[in-house]
Amino acid sequence: MDPIQNNDQKVIWTIGGGKGGSGKSFITANIGVCLAELGARVILIDADLGGANLHTFLGISPPSHTLSDFIKKRVADLREVIIPTGIPNLQLLTGAEDLLNAADAKSVQRRKLLRSIQTLEGDYIFVDLGAGNSLSVLDFFLMSDGGILMVTPEPTSIENTYRFLKSAFYRRLKQTVSSYRVKTLIEGAMDRKNEMGIRSPQDLFQAVMDVDEGEAKRMLEETESFRPNLILNQVRSKKDIEIGFAIRSACQKYFGLRLHYLGYVVFDQEVSDSIRKRRPLVLENARSRAAQCVREIAYKLADLRIDSSGMKGSRTEDEQVES
Amino acid sequence: MKRIEEQTCYEILEVSPTATADEIQKAYERAKETFRSDSLAIYSLYSEKEIEEIQAAIEKAYRVLMEEALSKSFDRPYPKTPEGRAEEGPSERGGLSWDGAASPSFSDVPVDPEEEPYRGKSLKRIRQRMGIDLRTISAQTKINMKMLEWIEEEAVERLPALVYLKGFLKGYAQCLGLDPQKVIQGYVKFLEESQKK
Repeated sequence: MDPIQNNDQKVIWTIGGGKGGSGKSFITANIGVCLAELGARVILIDADLGGANLHTFLGISPPSHTLSDFIKKRVADLREVIIPTGIPNLQLLTGAEDLLNAADAKSVQRRKLLRSIQTLEGDYIFVDLGAGNSLSVLDFFLMSDGGILMVTPEPTSIENTYRFLKSAFYRRLKQTVSSYRVKTLIEGAMDRKNEMGIRSPQDLFQAVMDVDEGEAKRMLEETESFRPNLILNQVRSKKDIEIGFAIRSACQKYFGLRLHYLGYVVFDQEVSDSIRKRRPLVLENARSRAAQCVREIAYKLADLRIDSSGMKGSRTEDEQVES
Repeated sequence: MKRIEEQTCYEILEVSPTATADEIQKAYERAKETFRSDSLAIYSLYSEKEIEEIQAAIEKAYRVLMEEALSKSFDRPYPKTPEGRAEEGPSERGGLSWDGAASPSFSDVPVDPEEEPYRGKSLKRIRQRMGIDLRTISAQTKINMKMLEWIEEEAVERLPALVYLKGFLKGYAQCLGLDPQKVIQGYVKFLEESQKK
């Protein structure tokens, strides 16, 4: 099982949250192309339950082989279901959504899926999770090396993002603790109108503190290490850009979470033009403003990768976003 | 996982303890914008009452940190304490000292303060006569250029709360070798008079 050993350096990103139409597939495809252009081996995985059409963004037909063919042992080798995209270094794997969608999708199965993804040979793997909020999607988001939330500067998108983030965060906390009592508390807190009066993460933390200090401590550590990323899409003004910082602040204050504002993509007619042509924007119109934004984010991801700790000082990140 | 009332001023404004007055000002403006009652980023997380609490906490944090930062930055142009010991880096001193303990003597300042009452325009004239660039003052005091311009241009509606304005005026005055107390008094008096009109 050599390949697994060789793939230690691989980074798996998941793109989710927000709502449909916030640009997850667009970003996934275009960031993939940017990194492939840099010479990295990139695999894109389509797991969008709401409509898996990542291939369309790359201008290729729906693949005949999918990941479920491998999981269901219809093909022996995972590499058989990975298809080339016509773009050097960039490959596509579809069919992950079938697994995530399955009503009986147990965490065992999800872990199996993740494990098979981890055996893939590549430097970057991007999983387009779509807008779903199911447990499978949440788990996938949590299991990846980095989860990226796609948001547009609209109330509905931001609301959904918080809902997603809260679900993911509480799920992560629940997975961290072992005491049944604390698990029940966290589960109860998921319901906004719970009878325990837990309205915020602080309330929850206090409630856990009261019953089990050790578990509270573990939750705190988990909060520290959970660092989701944010991309703001369809930005039309400087004020819109600021919303990314506002969301980051709100996450810090409300959830106690350190959200990493990866960057923004400006609203650009060229985007829908490129989608209509079924061509990645960064190839179709590399000099468009949106393409430049995407490239900047892609390069930032590449930088994050070089910095093996994966976490840089937030100050420089701010400056990069602002510039 | 701290509630807002448990957070330190630094945490509330999301600045480092070594932040300059300028950084604090920016962080404050950003925090104020983020936690505006109609901010997109918060309405679905907090109740109105909670938002008000956060707003109050931000104001308080700003006041506390600004005073601290200003007291630090005004010490910088005059690093020698009476004992001749240089103060290094961000001093750990708290409150703002309004008296000019570390200021140079005013006796040899070639400007007659009685000439005209201190206000933005007269300060500007004095500064120009001394041949001191506004940029130099900004660099020395760490006060934003815009803020200095507003002070000189008497852009009353843009000036910050009195407590900060006094801090800025003190720095400005020290740079020009004027008596900070007199400058502050003069400017405040000018403001009061302009408000009456």
